Amino acid sequence: MRKLLWGFVAVGMFACGSGEKPTDNSIDDFLTEGEEETTEGDDPGIPQEVINEFMNALPSPLETSVALKESGIPYSSDFLNDPQKVSHYNSAFSRAMNLGVYGTDLGYTNIYEQNQDAIFYLNAIRDLADELSIGQFFEFTTIKRLATQSTNLDSLLLVTTQNFNKINEHLQSKKRSNLSVMLLAGGWIEAMQISCKVSQANPENKTLRDKVAEQKVVCENINFLLSIYVDSNPYVKDLHEDMQRLFAAFEQIEVITKYGEQEVQIIDGVPTIVDSTTQETNATQEDIDKISSIVYEIRNRIVD
Amino acid sequence: MSEEILKALTQLFAIITKQDGGVTEKERNYVISFFQQQLDQDSIEEYLALYDKFADFSKEGAAEKPEKKERKLTSVRDSVKTLAICKKINKTLTQKQKVFVLIRILELVGSDKNFTPQRMEIIDTISTVFNIVKDEYRLIESFVLPKKGDNNLDWEDILIVGNEMPPEGGEKTNFFQTELNGDILFLRVQSVDMYFVKYLGTDEVVLNNFIMKRNQIYLFSHGSTIKTPIGDALYYSDLIMRFMQDMQSVKLSFTAESLGITFPNGGIGLRDINISEGPGRLIGIMGASGAGKTTLLNSLAGLVPPSKGSIKINGFDIYKQKESIEGVIGYVAQDDLLIEELTVYQNLYYNAKLCFAEMDEESIHKRVMDVLVSLGLDQRKDLRVGNVLDKTISGGQRKRLNIALELIREPAVMFVDEPTSGLSSRDSENVIDLLKELSLKGKLIFVVIHQPSSDIYKMFDKMIILDTGGYQIFYGNPVEAVSYFKRITNQVDRVQGVCPTCGNVNPEQIFNIVEAQVVDEYGQFTNKRKITPRQWQGRYLEEFVFEKVEEVSEAPPATLNIPNKIKQARIFTVRDTLAKLSNRQYLAINFLEAPFLGILLSFIIRYRSSPDGTEYIFRHNENFPAYILMAILVALFMGLTVSAEEIIRDRKILRRESFLNLSWNSYLLSKIIILFSLSAIQTLTFVLIGNGVLEIKGMLLPFWLALFSVSCFANVLGLNVSSAFNSAVTVYILIPLLLIPQIILCGLLFSFDKLNDAISTRGKVPIIADMMVSRWAYEAMAVYQYTENPYQAPIYRYEQLKQQSDYKATFLVKELREKIRSVSKYHDSDNDSLRAIAARDWAIFQGEAMREPDTVRNSMLRLGLDTLTINEFNERVGSAFETTLNDMENFYLDLLVEADNREQQLIYKMENGDGTGSEGIDFNEFKNRYYNESLADLVKNIATENRILEYRGRLLQMVDPIYHLPEPNNAVDYRTHFFAPKKHFAGTFFNTYGFNLVVIWLMSALLYFALYKEWFRRGLEFFSKVNLKGLLPEAKPKPKKETEKANKAEKVAG
Repeated sequence: MRKLLWGFVAVGMFACGSGEKPTDNSIDDFLTEGEEETTEGDDPGIPQEVINEFMNALPSPLETSVALKESGIPYSSDFLNDPQKVSHYNSAFSRAMNLGVYGTDLGYTNIYEQNQDAIFYLNAIRDLADELSIGQFFEFTTIKRLATQSTNLDSLLLVTTQNFNKINEHLQSKKRSNLSVMLLAGGWIEAMQISCKVSQANPENKTLRDKVAEQKVVCENINFLLSIYVDSNPYVKDLHEDMQRLFAAFEQIEVITKYGEQEVQIIDGVPTIVDSTTQETNATQEDIDKISSIVYEIRNRIVD
Repeated sequence: MSEEILKALTQLFAIITKQDGGVTEKERNYVISFFQQQLDQDSIEEYLALYDKFADFSKEGAAEKPEKKERKLTSVRDSVKTLAICKKINKTLTQKQKVFVLIRILELVGSDKNFTPQRMEIIDTISTVFNIVKDEYRLIESFVLPKKGDNNLDWEDILIVGNEMPPEGGEKTNFFQTELNGDILFLRVQSVDMYFVKYLGTDEVVLNNFIMKRNQIYLFSHGSTIKTPIGDALYYSDLIMRFMQDMQSVKLSFTAESLGITFPNGGIGLRDINISEGPGRLIGIMGASGAGKTTLLNSLAGLVPPSKGSIKINGFDIYKQKESIEGVIGYVAQDDLLIEELTVYQNLYYNAKLCFAEMDEESIHKRVMDVLVSLGLDQRKDLRVGNVLDKTISGGQRKRLNIALELIREPAVMFVDEPTSGLSSRDSENVIDLLKELSLKGKLIFVVIHQPSSDIYKMFDKMIILDTGGYQIFYGNPVEAVSYFKRITNQVDRVQGVCPTCGNVNPEQIFNIVEAQVVDEYGQFTNKRKITPRQWQGRYLEEFVFEKVEEVSEAPPATLNIPNKIKQARIFTVRDTLAKLSNRQYLAINFLEAPFLGILLSFIIRYRSSPDGTEYIFRHNENFPAYILMAILVALFMGLTVSAEEIIRDRKILRRESFLNLSWNSYLLSKIIILFSLSAIQTLTFVLIGNGVLEIKGMLLPFWLALFSVSCFANVLGLNVSSAFNSAVTVYILIPLLLIPQIILCGLLFSFDKLNDAISTRGKVPIIADMMVSRWAYEAMAVYQYTENPYQAPIYRYEQLKQQSDYKATFLVKELREKIRSVSKYHDSDNDSLRAIAARDWAIFQGEAMREPDTVRNSMLRLGLDTLTINEFNERVGSAFETTLNDMENFYLDLLVEADNREQQLIYKMENGDGTGSEGIDFNEFKNRYYNESLADLVKNIATENRILEYRGRLLQMVDPIYHLPEPNNAVDYRTHFFAPKKHFAGTFFNTYGFNLVVIWLMSALLYFALYKEWFRRGLEFFSKVNLKGLLPEAKPKPKKETEKANKAEKVAG
């Protein structure tokens, strides 16, 4: 009998494998083990404030959508990323990028008052935010409540948009501006993609062409931001390379700015600085096509 | 005897007597007297005429005689005729009858002492054709036709009873001295086991109440008694024993003295029973129902300890010196104690294997076959025993097999409970015959017998008669019993125990006399007995003196040599396996159950789970967490149901084998081996199908091992239940009681965080759930699947660091900051309750901060984290702590970023190959294949509203239990939150999967120990003793007056 008991214990010990020391030194282990290959990720060499400044200077992707709607371009969900693809995004990089993509898509559906589609995007955004541990910025109980009634969509979107801003702030404050950069880059690429599609569909429309071309500056800024994280993240490195190709496509284009007055307007409840300053470009349709093809390429790599 | 045979015999008689001088008057008279025994008056004439015709006898034809004398040799015609007749007889008569015929023929020849060579030659021929062995023929011849002074009674098989040894008797002859004129000769014909007797003297010797004719040969049948004028009566059994050489070597004494049994409820089962017997006896126990026959038998057999008196075999007390009488006692219960699924041969074979360790296969086979042949079961040896409903062998055969099971190990003392109940009279007789034969080989056999036929009754050597209330009212010769009771009650034919015309005994008479009731004035029987049991006992004690046999002092004969425990376990296992294999239904159900349930479950819960609803993707199957639970429940159910009946079913056989003193542990081990193997197969088929259909990849072995462990636990639990309760129905009713708590407390259906406060603490699995095997198995499987699947395994470490850093940086730091602010604010408050809050918050802060790794803790320790009291606190210290909290936050944020970066690098490498040309993997495809979102949600506890919870002076992490390492309070603190990735015990962390399986096995081991010690059964017995007494109403006899009134009322109504 006793032998049997010991037998059980022995089998048990075997099944357990060798035990480990009780102290939780996994963190220390982790930090020491990677010493020789430690990346500069946690210290980009550029002060956080500079990064934040750069990011805050980037225009909201929402502006593109507003401009499109104002130009009388009809709604098309074909431009947008499929919200069901959310489960395909498994690395922090692709999650953050696509969170940006979906953010832009949500804005687009919002501007065009496509309530049903908007709810799909809300869900996708929530899932990705959860995965990135920033789900707490979505008050889901509120969102759930609002989502049950389509008339509440406005407030719903307001909440979400505010949430987006909060996420950006949060990420920046929590040393995760790399995610913030990805989020912005994703959103921008998606907005570019929509603009390019619309512009290609309306080649006679110069305004649309200008809208695309004038993103040259933004492209440059994003490139700069991405370059900070190139060494710490191989995905960013790939993206950065693509973005540099994209920037090269912009090189021929000159942007002429005609300065106007700035005023604050409330767009969908969000106080937005609307600049009456206009920009003109010398972009040709070939330029746009060239830009478009690179944008599509990058965008597809992100969303697939 | 058929007409044909009688004709044949007549012819034989005639042929023999007509040889050498023809028929004499004496011979003819013998033939006539033979006919008189067989036939009615009219037929005698007919047959005599026939005889005369064949023998050429005519009263007037005396003149013809001389002619025939001249014929020297047997005519060829007669020889041929003789042969033809003998062959005819051979076809119809049994060997016993043929011996009988031979003796008659010899007697015929002997009637006139005309032994011519021709006659003897013919008789010799007859004996050859009858297949009677030469020696035996000569023995018979010597017995029937003794020749003076020839020492021809010098045979082992002849017994002489008389005053002194006659000159004819030789060295080999058995002699028994008694007061008698002339000798009584007994002959044993061994081949047919028949006894014959003849008396040579002049006294009036009575055989079965008939006066024996001088020199005439009588068949001495079972139960016969010979009474001589002066000497003691000669009982069949006494005489038979004298022939038995083997018996003299058996040294055995069995003595039960003033045996008394008082039942726990105060009732008296037996009073002052005295029994004393030597070897070679067949003792009957009779009595009215409820007289305590079976109680007596069980008590004598060592099953029910007496409250008074002692039972000794060769001086060893059977209760106090059990080891000395090991294997001496055999017990055949009233019920069948056979393994129904095995064949007759297998039943005996495995029994023999358990009894004789030293024998090789061949000897065991031989022994089994010998026993089967001797019981006439050899033709049936390959038939399955079956049960009452599914009969393959007859009741008599079953009973004989039951006896054979005891017989094969040749116990010196056997107890047989009602072997004839439910058997035909022929089967009954066969069974008792068998027992008789055994007793003649030197066994002492006690048989409880109910309503025996006359023949059976007479076969007993002694009869113990009990009366209601356990009184011993007779103990002695069975036939004597009848006349004793008749005599006591002054019946008319009181001397005769046996019917004078038919030789039958009517044992019923005894009970009619014993239980005779007083008749009231209306001629109706009353409840009152003429002679009460106590009076009967008094009479018996007056009339008979209890004679103790001489106590043998040497160890009782025992042939038992039980194998060692391992061998026993092996034999049990093989036997049980064979039994199960032969039960098709059992096999089919047990082997098809698991795959069927596997198909059913997995088929139902497999659906188009992909987000777009077009195909099945394991990752999105929301039923997966429930599937794990169902698998565990299936394993529990199958394990329980397969084992719950095991011991109950074997209980009868265990009781029989308790006389062998076999190892309980070996028996249990054999059960364990079989059940565990079965469980292994069941769970394997279940997992194969379930995991296959649901496309759960890479989890076959881990899931199987966990389910197998659960099933084994259930097996042992089932065995416990099975050993504790008496009926299968009770056990099956009990199964829900055992299973439903397992379902409630498995951790999936009801969150451990939302249970009644009386049983649960937040942040730890409740202790009551720790007793549930389902919870351990569920955790093991879920944690293993989540952490070890090929998608998660490489990144688990990074995920853990990320999630834990995030939790600490985002939630814990925030909470701690609030605590330190509260301390800063209230530590010097005038309000007591606010100060108490400050003190409490400080304690919480201290406790949580002390758990942090040194990098975080050191700066706080420098501020006096461990020593600072609330009274020493001030604003400056407070803000200093807040700064350290900022450091802590930064530390974890850096850690998070670093972990994230490394994870991304790893994934990038995996997706794009490591640069050495190896193909990268599609990480998304990997996730679809191996990762399950629903399970992930469960083990990450994303549904929780509170990510951090203040509870009893602790800040508990409610989110991400799968990443949260337990924080043990002391070395033996094994308790953790549910889905902890590692378990702590004795200062070491173990993988949850292995740890949990060990816990399950330890629980099984504990249950096995409980089973071995029979804790459950003992507990139940104790419980029922304590509780039921006094609660149950006792049957009270009706007040007398009421009964009388009722009787009168009945009469009036009648």
